[in-house]
Amino acid sequence: MEFKDYYAILGVEPDAEKADIKTAYRKLARKYHPDLNPGEEAEEKFKEVAEAWEVLGDDTRRAEFDELRRYGGRRAGGFEPPPGWESRAAGGSHHFSGDFSDFFNNIFGGGFDAGPGEQAFHRGRPGRDVEIEMPVFLEETLADTQKPVEYELPVIENGQRVTRRKSLKVTIPAGVGEGERIRLRGQGVPGQGGAPDGDLYLHIRLVPHPLFDVQGHDLLVTVPLAPWEAALGAKVTVPTLDGKVTLTVAPDSQAGRKLRIKGKGLVSKSGRGDLYALLKVVMPPKAGDRARELWQSLSEEQAFDPRAEWRASA
Amino acid sequence: MSTSILRITAREFCEREGVTEEQVVTIVEQGIARPTAGQQARDWEFDTTSARWMQKAVRLHRDFDLDWVATAMLVDLLRQRDRLHRENRKLRQQLRRFLLED
Repeated sequence: MEFKDYYAILGVEPDAEKADIKTAYRKLARKYHPDLNPGEEAEEKFKEVAEAWEVLGDDTRRAEFDELRRYGGRRAGGFEPPPGWESRAAGGSHHFSGDFSDFFNNIFGGGFDAGPGEQAFHRGRPGRDVEIEMPVFLEETLADTQKPVEYELPVIENGQRVTRRKSLKVTIPAGVGEGERIRLRGQGVPGQGGAPDGDLYLHIRLVPHPLFDVQGHDLLVTVPLAPWEAALGAKVTVPTLDGKVTLTVAPDSQAGRKLRIKGKGLVSKSGRGDLYALLKVVMPPKAGDRARELWQSLSEEQAFDPRAEWRASA
Repeated sequence: MSTSILRITAREFCEREGVTEEQVVTIVEQGIARPTAGQQARDWEFDTTSARWMQKAVRLHRDFDLDWVATAMLVDLLRQRDRLHRENRKLRQQLRRFLLED
């Protein structure tokens, strides 16, 4: 097994004061803690740092570690503890409950053991929870939807750490929202020694829709209008998540105006949200001669200043 | 076929995270999570989104040796950051519908 130099991991001298070790640990934890820095790389790094603090922050373990370090820490090749080695700190309380390295487990032994002040329900080591992102289309949130999920789990087989692919079919309940989490009990990393398996958390990500924007339980659709449709009024066919509706645009409608289409939003506990049609006036790509004439006569007949507001505040 | 679970009980949370019922009470008192059902602390139920934040709170409290007030402030800020990220993404998407591509 590989010798772990916990001093090097925390970047402190072997004769460092405990307070300095604690400061070094906290600095690195700030940098790599998985709850502050998402990403697998940070998580792996944090595990190392936490394990180093687990040993160097405990006087008994640190003294034992120093002994081992003197004994053979610097030898090339694999590390073996002295024959008959038994840790006095084995089975003590653990501050950190993640996975420990083989080195830690071999030296300080006993694996996971709940310490004082913690409820010692299990003697083995519970499996870690796993969280994965679950992209969900807006259309899929209207009713309970079954979706396949595939993910990888680290498992121990014949004493070896291997990765296993897992596939499940899960029901995504109607009305799930962005950022919500669905828990699947016992589908995380398997526990060891009879301890419970971890859970799988699906972190819901609503896939951006080409037409609809989400606002709480309401939806927003941008409706492009020709200038004359905004001026004269129009009946426009508007897509919704389920089917189409006809929207009446009143004469003299302003761009940026929102029209409510009741009950065509997202599903929620308090019924369905609404769909808002947001009017946007679009110019035709290129005016022909005749069109230019018409615009010209319109501009001559209209006393309209679209920038009147500027003048008021200038 | 696996069923989705949207709730977790206080008792289950204690078992999983190795925390005491008193700590769960503190977490609720600090406003980190609010139970969705249950009169007594031991019968409390939480939605899984809250449970995830509770889990983060327990870890941050432990790994940084923070007191619960500091933990609650930190979790609050992390939640706010998440919310703002989401909102920012949403508004950018909305804005794109009004701007022409360069």
